[in-house]
Order: sequence, then C-alpha cells, then structure tokens
Amino acid sequence: MKVNNKTIFSYEPDNSLKRGYIRMLGEITGEIKKNHWLTYQLAKRDFLKLYKQSFIGVFWALLIPLISVGTFVLLNNSGVFNMGDIDVPYAIFAVIGIALWQLFSAGLVATSKSLVDAGSMITKVNFSKKSLVIAAYAQCLVPFFTQVVFAAILFACYRIIPDLAVLLVPLAIMPMILFTMGLGFILALLNGIARDIGNVIAVLITFLMFLTPVLYAKPDGGLLASISRYNPLYYLISAPRDLVIKGSIDAWRGFLVAAIISVVIFFAGIVTFHMTETRIAERV
Amino acid sequence: MHPDVVAEIEDVWKKYCKTLRRSMMYGLSDIARNALGLSSHSEKLRKKEFWALEGISAEVKKGEVLGIIGPNGAGKTTLLKLLNGIFWPDKGRIKVRGRTGALIEVGAGFNPLLTGRENIYINAAILGMTKNEVKERFQSIVEFADIGDFIDAPVKHYSSGMFVRLGFAVAVHCEPTIMLVDEVLAVGDEGFQAKCFDRLGELRKNGLATVLVSHNMHTISTNAERLILLNDGEARYFENVAEGIKEYMKQFVGINDSGLERICNSGRHIEFHGVEVNKRSFEPGESFEIQMKYEAAADYSDVEIDVGIYSSNEKGFYFQATNRAYKQPIDLHKGEGELKIHIEDIRLANALAKVAISIWSKGREELLFWWRIPVEFRDVEFSTGKNFLHVRYENI
Repeated sequence: MKVNNKTIFSYEPDNSLKRGYIRMLGEITGEIKKNHWLTYQLAKRDFLKLYKQSFIGVFWALLIPLISVGTFVLLNNSGVFNMGDIDVPYAIFAVIGIALWQLFSAGLVATSKSLVDAGSMITKVNFSKKSLVIAAYAQCLVPFFTQVVFAAILFACYRIIPDLAVLLVPLAIMPMILFTMGLGFILALLNGIARDIGNVIAVLITFLMFLTPVLYAKPDGGLLASISRYNPLYYLISAPRDLVIKGSIDAWRGFLVAAIISVVIFFAGIVTFHMTETRIAERV
Repeated sequence: MHPDVVAEIEDVWKKYCKTLRRSMMYGLSDIARNALGLSSHSEKLRKKEFWALEGISAEVKKGEVLGIIGPNGAGKTTLLKLLNGIFWPDKGRIKVRGRTGALIEVGAGFNPLLTGRENIYINAAILGMTKNEVKERFQSIVEFADIGDFIDAPVKHYSSGMFVRLGFAVAVHCEPTIMLVDEVLAVGDEGFQAKCFDRLGELRKNGLATVLVSHNMHTISTNAERLILLNDGEARYFENVAEGIKEYMKQFVGINDSGLERICNSGRHIEFHGVEVNKRSFEPGESFEIQMKYEAAADYSDVEIDVGIYSSNEKGFYFQATNRAYKQPIDLHKGEGELKIHIEDIRLANALAKVAISIWSKGREELLFWWRIPVEFRDVEFSTGKNFLHVRYENI
C-alpha cells in the first residue's frame, strides 16, 4: 500500500476487530511490506547505538558468548560436568548451540524491550510499531552471524567438513525466529504496560538456558530428559545443530511439532499486537 | 468524505485513567479481551477513569489553519495526538486523508551518536518518507537546516538550536496533507522561525491544512482562520478568531479580589498596610496609582521598588523596571510614612494582566513587600497586540 493524498485512514475503537482476521492478516502484511525501509533504518540505528561509542565495537558480540563457551569448554575438559555423548569436538558443539540459543535469548530480550526503549518516539510520532519490534529482533542476528563465522573457523581448525545438509540450516532456524518474534510481539506489549515483564524475562532466560540442552547433549534419562521432551526450544536448537554436525535431524518428529507451534505463536503474537498496538502509546 | 476535507472528527471521546496501577490493569485486560476477539468496551468509564475529551466533532479543510486554544489540561494535546493517530478514540471516529505531519516533537528518534546526515535518513523514515523521497529531498533538507559542516558531526555535539533546525528541516519536507503544530515554533531563533512560517505558508498554498495549538494568542490571531476553544474536554467553535480569543481570555482572572496575591507585606522591621489603587480597568493612556502606608522600626535606605506588568496567562512581561531605572532613589525612614507609586500614561490594551510590586531592601537582602493585583487593559477596536501606541496620521 502506498500512501498518497487519497488514502483515508480511519481511527475508531476496535477497528481491526470489526474487520475480521482475514483482512487483518492482509493489513499486517501490507504494513510490514510498506515499512521495510523504516525497519531497516531502525535496525541500523539500534545496531549503531550498541556498537558505535566503543573501541572494539561489534567484536563484543563475539567476545561475550565466547567467554561463556570458553567457560564450558574448560568445565568439560576438567570433567566437572558430564556434557553427554557428543560426536564432534565440544567447542564446535557449544558454539553452534550458543549461536542458535542467541536467536532466542538475545532476540526475546531485544524485542520485549523495543516499545519501552523507543519511549517518547511512540507517544510523539505515529509510525509502524511493528517495524520497531522487527528491527529490534534484527539486533540478535549480529551476534548470531559473528558466531557462525567463529564456528566455521573452528571447523577449519579441527579439519572437519560439515555435511552438505548444512545448506538446509537457514530453513531449519526459521521456526526459532518465528517462535521468538511471536513471543516478542506479545511481550513487547505487556512490557509496555508493566515493566515486570522485562525483569521476568531476564531471570527466565538464564534459567531456561540451563534447562535446555544447549551446552550439553540431551541426557537419556532423568528429570532433564523428560523436561526436554516437552521443551520446544530443545527441538528448535537441536534440529539445525544436528544438520550441521550429523547431516540429519534426530528428533525430526518433535521438530515438526515445535515448528508448527512456532508458526501458531508467531501469528497469534502478531495479530494480538496488531489489534492492541493502538492502545499502547497512552500506557507506555 | 468531501474532497475538500482532509480530516473529519466525529463525536470523539477519549478517556484516561487517574492511577497508574489501574491503568496497567485496564491495559492488560484490554489486550486480553482484544486477543480473544472481544471488544474492550472502551465507551464505558471504569473506576478512576475520566473523559479527557467529550464528544468533539470538527472538520479540517484543505489549505486552512484551524487553531486550538484552551487552558492547560483542556485536551489540546490529546486532540492533536488523536488526529495524528498516536492515540485512538475510545468512542467516535476520526478520518484523515493522506499523510499527517507533525511539528510536535522535532527530531524524534535522533540518535545522538550518529551524524546529522545519518539521522536525516532515520528521522525521515520514521516520519513516513520513502527511500526515494528522502533521496530526492535530501539536498533541500540540508539547505533548509543550514547548519554547515555540522551535518557530518554527531548530533550530540549540536547546540539545541541546531538540533531543532535539523528536526524541523526534516519535518517540513515530508509533504503531508495535514500538519499538526504544537507550540514548537517558539523554539529556535527568530530568523529560523520566520523561515518555518514561510515554508508552512508555501505548503498551505498547495493545499496543506494546518492545525495549530498554541498558548500564544498573537500566533493564533495572526495565523488561524477558525478556532476550537477547548475547556475541560468540551469544545466550542468560532468562525471568528477574535471572538474565540476574547472568550478564552474571559476564563482567566476575572477582575475580583480573589486574584489578589500577597506573599508578604512586612519585613523584619517594617510593615505595610492599607494598600489602595485608583482603578482596576484602564483605557490606553490612563495612569495607575498605588498608595500604601507603612510603619518602620528602622531606617531602610535606598530600597529597590520593582514594578512589573505581566500577562496573566502567557509568560512574559509587558513591562518591568525598578526605581533605579528612573534614577529615583527612595529611603524609607523610621516611623510611619506613606509610599506612592505612579505608573503614568500606560499604553497597553487588549489584555488581562497583573501588576506586580515588590519592594526589597538595599542589595535585595530582605523582601519587604510582595503583592500582585489583576487588572484589565480594555480592548481597542481595530487593534490587536498588547501595546497600543500613540500613532498620528497626517495627510500632507
């Protein structure tokens, strides 16, 4: 949709609700398409804000997760933790795990804060708030890609050549991205109203990371194993990682279910956001 | 919508919540209801909610300037935000044709670390311009801002004036069909202000409609063609701007004693009593006399008598001076005495004002007297502005 002098905008209560879900989806797609340049500009701004006034800039995106991976490699080598049965050097396993985990954790933190961080912009200018959330999500892609590069270097160091199935990885990470963005849309709204959400997320993410087999292989039995069975995050992370390491997805049934859940959450999130974003400016 | 109308406000109501906690709860329940496909029934007031706007209807036509005035808290900003689509009505409907521009907060989304050049792109995108539009108008934006080499410096090194200039430059280049202006033109230096008004005027010729919110009656009377007077969320409409302004002014300080403010009328060793004034309502050219008795227990030499006449609803003085300005030193001697202040030949009109008197001991070490009284300078037909000067016309 291109805005010209003939476009008429109409603001009234429960606007979208009256139009029904089908038209709403059309509106959402149109809005996102129309604002792709705005989204890009906002993402660029967020990116520069994070890394500009700093000496090593974007290397922080690499360094911070590296340190946590390093810690776990150390713990693994000293035998403090049993990381389970892993077919590749632990460092590769951990770096890929962290990279995929970041798609969730960094993405969720950034999106849920996006409306609140925009502050007076939201209450003073009318622009697409969906762009704000999407642009915020893009922030987590930077650490993701730096770690992908790092993983590639590790592969070279260990002289391992990944299976050709690695080409399917971009497709296999889509569910994770949709899952996170769907949650992000809803949490951004809720955080806009009650700041508790931001704190809950910060606590929950650390907790979830240890509960999810990110840095260790899924154990065969015990409490952690049964939790992992019903944890969609486990499937969303292990599937793309399996593709890189083994060339095939072990738990593909679980991954399929998790992917369907992700798509549902994404649409539920963005539709809820679309219906209620008009109420958020006055409450942020 | 009639093709000449760019915005239509139909019986619009807007409510707010008085307490934060309830506002949070209501917000969450509204989201939950909407998510489940239920209406949030925003037309009903819940506990602690109140109507900030009550049934406003108005039209904004192509090329016109609609003024919105009213006291603080009347709902002016809320109405602008509704027109801009930032807030949505709780009842009623607003229709807007084309792009809405806003000079409400300029420089929204500026990132202090980025250069002016980089910020232009971001700000323009936020204001709704497309990539091609920005490319096309970029040079013109830079020229309008006129900040020289600073365009390539980080915005955090800008003076506040430069910041505003750049923000404005972007805002006036987004070519909206309707422009919302909220008081902001008061910032920036005068030359730049004139440039902005000139640009707005040029856009108006091409059909841009303007909605102007201001407390400055001079800005309103010289620009607006029609007026909405908001008061407590209700609107009155005036086709005649002068009439609307007069109605607005009436709301302030009726000439009665309740407007009299007295912070102090005694110092440590002196007491003032029996203050009298000759009149409270003036034609241009009349004089004001204030007379007061005092009783002093010590000598106060070379006191400072500060006299001001200032507007009762806008900021700023029509006049202010102390007796030093007139080189008339005054000593107050021990014992009883009487002080008289004459303000002669006052050339003010069309204003409700306050006369403020404060008397200080030498060096402003002690406040002896502080007193202000509302007065009226009557309207003069065929004249606006607060100063009514002595003008003679001669046909030679």
